[in-house]
Amino acid sequence: MVPVEHLFALAMFVFVCGLTGVLFRRNLIMVMMGLELMLNAVNIAFVAASRHVGGVDGQVMAFFVITVAACEAAVGLAMIIAIYRRYGTVDTEYLRVLRG
Amino acid sequence: MVALCSLMVVVGRNPVASIVFLIFSLVGVAGIFALLGADFLAAVQVIVYAGAIMVLFLFVVMMLRLEREKREAMRLTLPDRVALGLTVAGFGFVAWKIVAGAKAGFETAAPAAATEVAGNTQLVGMKLFTTYLWPFELASVLILLALVAAVMIARGDGKPATRPVEVDDGSR
Repeated sequence: MVPVEHLFALAMFVFVCGLTGVLFRRNLIMVMMGLELMLNAVNIAFVAASRHVGGVDGQVMAFFVITVAACEAAVGLAMIIAIYRRYGTVDTEYLRVLRG
Repeated sequence: MVALCSLMVVVGRNPVASIVFLIFSLVGVAGIFALLGADFLAAVQVIVYAGAIMVLFLFVVMMLRLEREKREAMRLTLPDRVALGLTVAGFGFVAWKIVAGAKAGFETAAPAAATEVAGNTQLVGMKLFTTYLWPFELASVLILLALVAAVMIARGDGKPATRPVEVDDGSR
């Protein structure tokens, strides 16, 4: 059986990958993928912890996280499409409307 | 498998390739779930993530023309590099602390009580419809809301674009 520390380390690694994507990519779609990665890292940690403690509560929680991730992906991608229609780009470098 | 799927996540540079890598990574995570005895969650992960969400991503990438963005990889300026280094270092430190603490403290905890291999889906279902009934119903409402909101946002009413859209779809 995989020890729980390794799983936590893996979750941390995936989370850092996702965070890097969110912070340093200019393409909005890449930012969304970073978000998905971070949510997955949290899921890994949830399931590992629930396995370790010996219940299914963590799995139920991960189930809800997946639900929220699906909603977030749908709405976020819709917003990306809207942004692309309006401004013709999804590069965060050129989206400076709020900064004036 | 663990190292493999994690590495694949990092590699992706242009959007389509990185989506494919992300699919591999998500399937790897599903494999980890199955390995941990969470069969139901593994199935849900494959269906929802690798099926639905990734198809959504692919559709959006194909809809938008990303030739320009595709070419540029991750450009990091110097402050970016410093920030990235600090982030990785901080998370590495936290991970090290967690692993150390886990080695020290988790041994005394109860060693993985009897979540047997077989009735996992049944257990999760029971939990979901008794203890977590209200969150479950809320989640369904949330999905409905997200559906309507996504349609509303993506439909786009006839407001003129502030900057002319470069896509010329010939019909209008």
